[in-house]
Amino acid sequence: MGGYGDVKLLRDDGSRLDGRQVDEMREVEIEAGILPAADGSAWVKHGLNVAVCAIYGPMEAHPRKIQRQDRAVIDVRYNMAPFSTSDRIRPGFNRRSREISKVTAEALESVVLVERYPRSKIRVEIEILAAEAGTRCVGITAAAVALADAGIPMRDLIVGVASGKIEDTVVLDLDKAEDNYGQADLPMGILPTTGEIAFLQMDGDLSVDEYNTCVEYNMKAAKEIHAIMVDALRRRYQSSNGGGK
Amino acid sequence: MVELVPNLLKQELEKLAENDKRIDGRSRWESREITLETNCLYNAEGSAKVVWGETVIYAGVKFEVRTPWPDRPTQGSLMCGAELRPVAGRKYEPGPPSPESIELGRVVDRGIRESGCIDMDSLCIIPGEKVLGIMIDIHVLSDKGNIFDACALGAIAALRTAIVPAERFDIGEDYPLSVSMTPTMCSFTRVGGRYVLDANEKEELGGEERIHITLGDQGHLHSLQKGLKGTFTPAEFDEILQVAQNRCKELADLVNAQEE
Amino acid sequence: MNLNNRLFYHGMDGRRFGEKDMSGGQKGAELRLVTPGEAIGASSGGRVGSGAIIQGKEIIATKLGWVKQKNGVTSVDPINSTYMPRSGDLVIGVIESVRNNLWFAEVNGPFNGLLPMSLAPWKVEFGAAREHMDIGDIMLARVQEVDEAHNIVLTMKGVGLRKLKEGIMSQISVNNIQTLRGENNSTVNMLKDASDCRIIVAENGRVWVDGDDDGVELVRSVIEMIQDSGHKATTENEIQEFIEKRRNA
Repeated sequence: MGGYGDVKLLRDDGSRLDGRQVDEMREVEIEAGILPAADGSAWVKHGLNVAVCAIYGPMEAHPRKIQRQDRAVIDVRYNMAPFSTSDRIRPGFNRRSREISKVTAEALESVVLVERYPRSKIRVEIEILAAEAGTRCVGITAAAVALADAGIPMRDLIVGVASGKIEDTVVLDLDKAEDNYGQADLPMGILPTTGEIAFLQMDGDLSVDEYNTCVEYNMKAAKEIHAIMVDALRRRYQSSNGGGK
Repeated sequence: MVELVPNLLKQELEKLAENDKRIDGRSRWESREITLETNCLYNAEGSAKVVWGETVIYAGVKFEVRTPWPDRPTQGSLMCGAELRPVAGRKYEPGPPSPESIELGRVVDRGIRESGCIDMDSLCIIPGEKVLGIMIDIHVLSDKGNIFDACALGAIAALRTAIVPAERFDIGEDYPLSVSMTPTMCSFTRVGGRYVLDANEKEELGGEERIHITLGDQGHLHSLQKGLKGTFTPAEFDEILQVAQNRCKELADLVNAQEE
Repeated sequence: MNLNNRLFYHGMDGRRFGEKDMSGGQKGAELRLVTPGEAIGASSGGRVGSGAIIQGKEIIATKLGWVKQKNGVTSVDPINSTYMPRSGDLVIGVIESVRNNLWFAEVNGPFNGLLPMSLAPWKVEFGAAREHMDIGDIMLARVQEVDEAHNIVLTMKGVGLRKLKEGIMSQISVNNIQTLRGENNSTVNMLKDASDCRIIVAENGRVWVDGDDDGVELVRSVIEMIQDSGHKATTENEIQEFIEKRRNA
């Protein structure tokens, strides 16, 4: 978190600088199956963030040493395109991306039925094309839609959402300014139908009450985003006359 | 990862070529459908998305303020790079930039740079102290053949719509980058013994060498590259150059149509 | 389409998704497209098939697909899935590597299949495997055995199993194989007839076609049509109409 209250982020009427209410999320748009080369894919626009995800596999896990005899490994690469931020990012190794890739993979392993594919690997390629705060959450949402599109069995989808604190007020879904000058950020990966949490990070300063409000907001937003995810998957495959095979 | 080439695919491509046909029903000099969208990414000062058949790429432009090279104190710089990350296809692996991605970036870079469409002197802020550097990054998201032409198109389209963020650099008001020309690329691949325009992924898999031609507004050549194993004759080159002359004009029109 | 979307949105404040009938009584109204995590029935008394699991009191879909209920078994017919070999499957493979006494073939699944010399259709001298089939060659084989760890043994001993030297190899998603075949192979038989081609539809989604150019093109366009819309409302009739139209064109 950048600063503490030195920038005004809430208007006098309690609304936020972009006009949102404290418990309102940015607009979310999702398309499934947009990358023909992949086995499954998704495009997610969340506010001004743009993320795409491609799935390859399940395929034989290489190199051999990463193979697990009893399940598939999920190989996540979260990457920010050089032009995705206001200062260009040099391509290459990056500690932040490595960490996010690791915890994202572990979150996805909690929903994917990995035991169905021993010795295999499922490649999850998350590319952030435009970043406006909250990209790890957008990446998780994109990965879940792409996995479903690829036909990978999962016990639930998973939704990436975040809440945080600005000017001592808990708000849902921080934008760029709020992320830069706010006091806390709590991103979560939530299983929308069971309400379980598979991904959790936090930084900043939150009281227990504030944490609870964040969780409440995140749960609410997860339901809303879930509906958009389901709609994207259905739109791709449901024919206009509502029929099936 | 090396892709496996099924022998039947090679046989099939040869047979189709004998009858002047292509595997997806196109004629020899016919391109796939192209959709170009510009200014589609927040944070990039210029951006383009190209959907070329089933190939998908994004290009983004960023600027920096830097010190000029001592021997060229009034000249800014241009750099174009391409990334072939594992997202682009099953055959792509993580790791440092592959020779393929470096070739791709450099061929696109040369076409834009050598066309002279950017006046490097116009990028000077304070001679000998401050100049603008332009960086074009190309991101391939779905490789279904002919990424070269898609990347070149995306790069020039992103450049032509770029806005110099002068306010952010404290050097005045934001202004559109001046780009005086629209160089575009046409690539040809030898499939079943003869060249075709805009090979798809199957034709590339079962095909041989390729030739990339970048032409400027006057039809002048600005960059050429022959890639992969194989040879060609001067007569073959004459033939594809003629095709490229027409095709590059059409591609330039497509880019220029974005600027309304 | 838009109407349907709006319907979904209205449903979203509720508990779980897809509990209402989306199809509005039109064709295929009994079919329901579900997403992973969606409840598709009560677990009490019912049994679950593929694409579904029991979680507490409910049957949960694990794949994107169409709900199927047959003889008390609830399952999800997936829209997309990876080919997982089963013993007895007829497959078309591409030779990926050759050793002195065996071949490895890529069979469109996560793992390569192994063809030992003893299960080849020829009498092979040790060290001469490559003379019979080399890298890139196409073979029609059957899956002899698959173990828990996905080790696959192939055999080419059997009627019709052979190296495929002519024709073309095309591909269809494994979930669309049944659509291409039709009931009792009616669609593929009609296609064979209309195109005058030999056609083999293998279990791993590979399709071998041999005939003249026009015939191959017809088969290719039908495969493309099924690939583009097989998961939608394409019925056997529509495909057969398409074949009929192309045949007369």
